[in-house]
Amino acid sequence: MLENYLPVLMFIIVGLVFGALPLIAGFVLGPRRPHPEKQAPYECGFEAFEDSRMKFDVRYYLVALLFILFDLEIAFLFPWAVVLEDIGLFGIAAMGLFVGLLVIGLLYEWQKGALEWE
Amino acid sequence: MSFETPDFSLALPEIWLLGAICVVLIVDLFVRGSRRSVTFFLTQAVLLVTAALAITTQWGVTETTFSGHYVVDPLAAMLKATLALLVVLALAYTRPYLEARGLLQGEVYLLALFATLGMLIIASGGSLLTLYLGLEMLSLSLYALVAYHRDSRQAAEAAMKYFVLGALASGILLYGMSMVYGGAASLELAVIAEAAASEEPPLLLLFGMSFMLVGVAFKLGAAPFHAWVPDVYQGAPTPVTLFISTAPKVAAVALFLRLLVDGLGPLHETLQPMLLILAAVSLLLGNLTAIMQTNLKRMLAYSGIAHAGFIVLALAAGTEAGHAAALFYVIAYGIMAAGAFGLIIVLSSAGTEAEQIADYRGLNERHPILAGVLLLLMISMTGIPGTIGFYAKYLVLKAAVEADLIAMAVLAVIAAVIGAFYYLRVLKVAYFDRPEVPPEGSQKPTGPNEGSVGEGEGATPSRPDGAAGTVLVPGASLPIRALLVVNGAAVLVLGIFPERLIALCQSVLGAG
Amino acid sequence: MIETLLWHSAKIWAVLIPLFVAVAYYTYVERRVIGHMQDRRGPNRVGYRGLLQPIADALKLLFKEITIPSQANRVLFLIAPTMAIMPALAAWAVVPFGEGLAVADINAGVLYILAMTSLGIYGLLLAGWASNSKYALFGTMRASAQIVSYEIALGFALVGVLMAAGTMNLGGIVEAQAGPFWEWFWLPLLPLFIVYWISGVAETNRAPFDIAEGESEIVAGFHVEYSGMAFAIFFLAEYANMLLISLLAAIFFFGGWYSPFEGIPVLGPAFDWVPGTVWVLLKAAFFAFCYLWFRATFPRYRYDQLMRLGWKVLIPVTVVWLVVLTGLIYAGIGPWF
Repeated sequence: MLENYLPVLMFIIVGLVFGALPLIAGFVLGPRRPHPEKQAPYECGFEAFEDSRMKFDVRYYLVALLFILFDLEIAFLFPWAVVLEDIGLFGIAAMGLFVGLLVIGLLYEWQKGALEWE
Repeated sequence: MSFETPDFSLALPEIWLLGAICVVLIVDLFVRGSRRSVTFFLTQAVLLVTAALAITTQWGVTETTFSGHYVVDPLAAMLKATLALLVVLALAYTRPYLEARGLLQGEVYLLALFATLGMLIIASGGSLLTLYLGLEMLSLSLYALVAYHRDSRQAAEAAMKYFVLGALASGILLYGMSMVYGGAASLELAVIAEAAASEEPPLLLLFGMSFMLVGVAFKLGAAPFHAWVPDVYQGAPTPVTLFISTAPKVAAVALFLRLLVDGLGPLHETLQPMLLILAAVSLLLGNLTAIMQTNLKRMLAYSGIAHAGFIVLALAAGTEAGHAAALFYVIAYGIMAAGAFGLIIVLSSAGTEAEQIADYRGLNERHPILAGVLLLLMISMTGIPGTIGFYAKYLVLKAAVEADLIAMAVLAVIAAVIGAFYYLRVLKVAYFDRPEVPPEGSQKPTGPNEGSVGEGEGATPSRPDGAAGTVLVPGASLPIRALLVVNGAAVLVLGIFPERLIALCQSVLGAG
Repeated sequence: MIETLLWHSAKIWAVLIPLFVAVAYYTYVERRVIGHMQDRRGPNRVGYRGLLQPIADALKLLFKEITIPSQANRVLFLIAPTMAIMPALAAWAVVPFGEGLAVADINAGVLYILAMTSLGIYGLLLAGWASNSKYALFGTMRASAQIVSYEIALGFALVGVLMAAGTMNLGGIVEAQAGPFWEWFWLPLLPLFIVYWISGVAETNRAPFDIAEGESEIVAGFHVEYSGMAFAIFFLAEYANMLLISLLAAIFFFGGWYSPFEGIPVLGPAFDWVPGTVWVLLKAAFFAFCYLWFRATFPRYRYDQLMRLGWKVLIPVTVVWLVVLTGLIYAGIGPWF
């Protein structure tokens, strides 16, 4: 079974090479004339007047948290979906409970306005 | 594919509670403003039903289900009923306090319900996994509850400390569990007990036990793992402090009984010295530091550490009588702490927080009944005969002496005498000090309600004349005061007729 | 051992080289198609009807300077493009182009695809963070929030496919759809297909969900500081992902390599001579065309609208449909299962 994954590994390596090679080619073939103005961070013609790594809206963190919850749910759903016909009512009920709890969580978020982006 | 379908009916209290939480959550989402009380009453009803279910479906049953992860025995049933009822008592105090400060939101009750669910799971935990699950459920809810008053810097700081230290303690506990799992090759406590009872128990088990003890001691608030207790007790909104100091303490004892008695009981000889150190440090540190406190909440926190010392001492005895004494003690402490913090809640109003001991000057003249309750609670915490606190201490000492821990028993008595000093000082302030005081004793309003002073209705209602804020205007309504009186009376009644509760504690632990 | 490695390499090149050609000419087609939709000509000067345009573009980018902003985190800045293209290419490893025509025929195919598309976000995050530029960071934050939000909807939609197919092997999913076009999954899973497609467009940050790049607000989003080949790699990754989503749409919902007339008395045999690969690619080409069509047609979404669509429309729709689907499958109702 595992040898089926050899091409996958090779593909990943080839993918990495294809990320690195053009970059190297670009550095070799392209000119290299650094200039402070050219290398300043883009800022609509302004001088950048503060560090750009600033505080962010808490909602981004909220989305990240929600994502982790739901992505885990999906990770559980995948194997479940494949064997759906073998696990019978018990399996369906178990997953129903799990999804139900998450749906209640989603409802809560929704009603509390955690999903509002105004 | 075949599953061994677990016997769900055994876990009925938890299943009911979880389902009910979902319902309460949805209901709370759709009620607004003044009808918020719906959540409160629903919560209380849910908890009462939970207690009833625990008694009716689990009492007298001894079985395991969910492949040994879930245990039902008399101890579980008794713990669950007690926990649910203690939570009911704790939550009963919360509503007017929160309402007056604009904090009354469903989340308080939902978090309390989730915490209760975690505690019930601990009570029935038959494996490391379930115990940890329950513990985390409890802890995470508590962190959020402490941080509940978001605009209060004190509460935020307390929550942060609690969270960081709590996460560390959980990590240590989990680390210990992983070692025990490695040593016994099973998560199930029954199997672990077999491994521990063998001739040469694996060294890993001993290591794991020490780590797990740290985690449990943290939850119990025993020194030297007590650092969070004073800050959290003082910084959290008083109803939350009340909640933390009642049911979760019982849950911590339950955790100990499951983890270190059901699971690693055979290793008690190794555990005992560690417990004795914990007990001695807690007793001395708690009582000595409490003397220096001027803030009642903080003083009660240190007194809580001292009480934890007593509980640990009872557990160190290692006998069934000792375990029963610990259980009785923690329940008694829960009732007393509920009364003490309840009193603070009753005496606080929207603008003021009755948390300085100096605030209680002349309480007897203005509110003789409340002063009477204070008297009862303080003498019970001291351990004077006729109150529940006396029997709690008596049972612990008796168990300790029977287990040949005489030196420790003497130390505990000395500690209790030291403790009497600060409890009685509160009474002296309340009964003999005059309310007219120079302004330096009145740095009020302080505490977590700094922010709500300005926005509270009509601002500072509690500064009539030049008395500069020492006049406490009870903000709580009549039912809450009645509840407080009942709570105080319970301390007395249970102190006079403790036999049934003692017998109950002993019977569920197989003693006497 | 050596032979196996060589054989696998050959297969990989057999996928990658056409892929690169497809990506290059996809950009050309995009400009031509949108040009015509907007009553313009599009590029038509380099070579016959502009056919050499992509090659000219590639050469131009190759000889451009790669600037590295002075405040940037140099290592991360240079790793980011690689992190973006690697998953975009590696995901193709399990895609079947015909019966048994996949580089790696693995059973966890769907999981692998989802894992790879999720990894792509790291390139984007690294790029935005390492650039240390406000526009780049804004673009990154927006793009990552958007991608993770739509990934959930996408994942739910795929759960439906798995439920219907009963396997995570991509070839197996196609085989579960054997039959004429009305037996393919798009019909019983219609809501899920729509959610899949919308999420797929959003996942690749394409119009109308391209606020991560939103040139009128935040210039070019996360890759604003990139130039030359470094920029080209992001570009390549984006188009490879678009083609992947198009091809997967054909595989998951439109019967993969099966002819739409499979099993129909007269029409079926009439199209027997067409190889399955052609059908896959035709179907994929249609969806790839839809990408361009959407871009020419729809105005850009506002950010709050975007998040609302993802969380409040797509996710509830998928959850409800999964429940319905579970009921249908359990009860054995419906002609499709």
